[in-house]
Amino acid sequence: MISKKTAEAVLLCAVSRGAEFAELFVENNAKNSVSLVNGKVESANSGIDRGCGIRIINKERTVYVYTNNMAEDNLLRLASEGAEAIHGNTKLKNIVFSAMQYDKLYTPEIMPDSVKKSDIVDMLKTGSNAAYGYNKLITQTRMGYTDSCRNVIIANTEGLWAEDERVRTRIAVSAVASDGNEKQTGYFGPGALKGFEFYDTISIEDIAKEAARSAVTMLGAGNCPSGKMSVIMDNGFGGVIFHEACGHGLEAAAISKNASVFAGKIGQKIACERLTAIDDGTIPGSWGSINIDDEGVKSRKNILIENGILKGYMTDRYNGGLIGMEPTGSSRRESYKFMPVSRMTNTYIAPGTDKKEDIIADTEYGLYARYMGGGSVDPASGDFNFAVNEAYIVRNGKICEPVRGATLIGKGSDVLLNIDRISDNLALAEGMCGASSGSIPVCVGQPMIRVQNITVGGRE
Amino acid sequence: MMDIDALKKQLFEKARKKGFEDCELYYSENSHSSVSVYKGKLEKYQNSQTGGFCFRGSYNGSMGYYFSETTDIDIDSVIDNAMANADITDTDNKEFISEGSKSYSSVKIYNDALNGLTVEQKLETALEMERSALDYDKRIRPERASVSTGEGSVYIANTKGLELSEKRNYALASVSVMAEENGNTKSKYELFVGNDIEDLDPAGLGISAAKKAVSALGGSPVKSGSMNIILSNEVFADILGCFLPVFYAEEAHKGFSVLKDKTGERIASDILTIRDDPLIDGGFASCSFDSEGTASYGKNVIENGVLKTLLYNLKSAARDNVRSTGNGFKASFKSAVMTSATNFFVEKGNKTLDEVMKKTGEGLFITDVAGLHSGADRISGDFSLAAEGFRIENGVITSPVDQITIGGNFYDMLNNITAIADDLKFFASVGSPSVAVKNMTVGGL
Repeated sequence: MISKKTAEAVLLCAVSRGAEFAELFVENNAKNSVSLVNGKVESANSGIDRGCGIRIINKERTVYVYTNNMAEDNLLRLASEGAEAIHGNTKLKNIVFSAMQYDKLYTPEIMPDSVKKSDIVDMLKTGSNAAYGYNKLITQTRMGYTDSCRNVIIANTEGLWAEDERVRTRIAVSAVASDGNEKQTGYFGPGALKGFEFYDTISIEDIAKEAARSAVTMLGAGNCPSGKMSVIMDNGFGGVIFHEACGHGLEAAAISKNASVFAGKIGQKIACERLTAIDDGTIPGSWGSINIDDEGVKSRKNILIENGILKGYMTDRYNGGLIGMEPTGSSRRESYKFMPVSRMTNTYIAPGTDKKEDIIADTEYGLYARYMGGGSVDPASGDFNFAVNEAYIVRNGKICEPVRGATLIGKGSDVLLNIDRISDNLALAEGMCGASSGSIPVCVGQPMIRVQNITVGGRE
Repeated sequence: MMDIDALKKQLFEKARKKGFEDCELYYSENSHSSVSVYKGKLEKYQNSQTGGFCFRGSYNGSMGYYFSETTDIDIDSVIDNAMANADITDTDNKEFISEGSKSYSSVKIYNDALNGLTVEQKLETALEMERSALDYDKRIRPERASVSTGEGSVYIANTKGLELSEKRNYALASVSVMAEENGNTKSKYELFVGNDIEDLDPAGLGISAAKKAVSALGGSPVKSGSMNIILSNEVFADILGCFLPVFYAEEAHKGFSVLKDKTGERIASDILTIRDDPLIDGGFASCSFDSEGTASYGKNVIENGVLKTLLYNLKSAARDNVRSTGNGFKASFKSAVMTSATNFFVEKGNKTLDEVMKKTGEGLFITDVAGLHSGADRISGDFSLAAEGFRIENGVITSPVDQITIGGNFYDMLNNITAIADDLKFFASVGSPSVAVKNMTVGGL
């Protein structure tokens, strides 16, 4: 994608006005997508993203230039233009690259580009048929398939030369139930840092049936009540609560600007004693995993909170530098079009000792959130929100009638202290996370937890 | 960057040879340059140039696509991949490659004056935004202020003889600040989007962001219940923007919009008129043609509460036996042609916001919502969103409110509109005045 000679020339040009550091990020991403609507292939698209980003850092100042015109003279022109914006006193004459050695977390068995497109369509149709077959109330289905094979080179003025290949695939399954007047949707989106063999490990049919069941259940549901109550959040995508309520606030970009309620709190109790939370980029094949981050740092398992005490942040080179902390292998970006910042990978609440059945049995009144949707947070205030896709009222220790349309809101610092039960059934679920460095694959996760006194916004 | 004519010739020749019928080359280039400041200093400078092409062609009755950000690619592989994509696409899902319209209206979307804006001027503007916000109140802390300009061009050519191109430029300015008091933090921002830098008032933008943040401090929730609510122009635009796809004929055909077959029916309060107008000079989504080469024109989508038309591309128009409304757009050069609104806005009413407040008497003025990407269901119309704003007591704004939700159904909301103010403002491509809605569910204490 780029020769070492060109890379050296471009990097030297980028620091020619004395900046401390420069980095090249070169990418070739072969993408493929198929969309099936109501059982028919609506569109099939594929293509290549290719380009290069040059980052120059000097103390608090950063320059980022990117292009997909990879001709050496164009890269040199952009690098020298960038260098003009960032003067310093460092002198660098040459760079000796040394190739970064690391073990891959997972080796894909079936490369996506070797798969027949008709096999992908067959798989999507199997899902669509299963959803339609589940119940005659299912009136529409939407299935999406994506794969990408992303090759990157990261080189910097300190001599780093890192190459990585990231193969990901994901399927999105939606089923819409309708009774003539109303429509409700069930959705799941499993994916992995794997090749096409991933689909041998899951059953599209079961996933589609479950989406259909969820849609039909919600069709018959009344509106969720509003007000403060206990909420039991089931495992898997329930982990979105930690991702929003706390995870974003532990990213160094928010910490370095003191724009997080968790800034300056390392070593302090920020959560209930039984809570331990981890960001682990090293889980083999997991959707949110990374071999190396987008600055060429090996991914690792980072303990964020241990028994309620804040242990660490997720840092990148630039923001870590501002707060005097080493990079944690958390620097990520959607593509060469984004400057990397600290982001999450697979983030989860560690399992506790409670039994799922006991948590429900011990709840007099509250909401049981079986499946969660997405959410968002303002890290500065800690105000978060997220949607509940399938919920039930809990009364006298029993799961009762389903309710729809619930949104949960709160402040991250409060909610972590109000978690009072943690079960032992940890599971992860896949999602996309959007922030300043773009939209990236992440997993959220948790065992079933109960939160006291959280604001539920419904339509009753 | 690329030699378009040579690329076009090669693509079309090889495609025809391999059995493609009508073909199209869609090419786009973008450049962007931005300056961000923090605590009185340049923090970040960004500059980019990107581009790429997309080939689409009709093969055995189906459309096949392939895109690339680089021309350093084997043309045969482009054609072969597009063919493989066409092979699996259903034939009754017919897309068209068109000779275009007879004539095109012109609209001002390129302002030469923007090109003269130097990095130093952007820096000075960003610094002024930050400074004026900080000077406004000692409780304000900076987060980021940035100014950027960009330029984009599209070029469409097809084997039916269509050849169109258009370029646009724009300026963006944004300022984010935090207000902090007694452990309570509020983060707010202001955004300017336009292509005339003369319209940008840096100090005004900074002060406005600071005012928003400071006035939101010390908010508290209200009791849960049903209330009369005024949604600020920004909030109504946010919600409308989220539900835009329900106005797309394509979504209705697939069964994802309940507005299917509702054209001509009353679907909203009779004081509501919503317009889609791509011919507004300097508009964020203005254009003289869509991604299929259909000429742009303005149309009322809802007129005095009655649904006048859905938005069409060539495919959905053929299915309903009507003409395309010029709303066939690609999300980027890489994507398939879908449907998209252009400058989509609620026509302003004739009362001031103060008069609407007075008329409302008791209720809430909602200034911010969060969670639209997850807490709103486009198919059912249901939404429940985190919200902030102010109490309205005796017809005037009093204390700040936060940690509440507002919930409702988009279609019910359209019918429950009781007043529309005259403060129409565009937030990128969606515009709205403040809108009063009765009986919305509020979740709080």
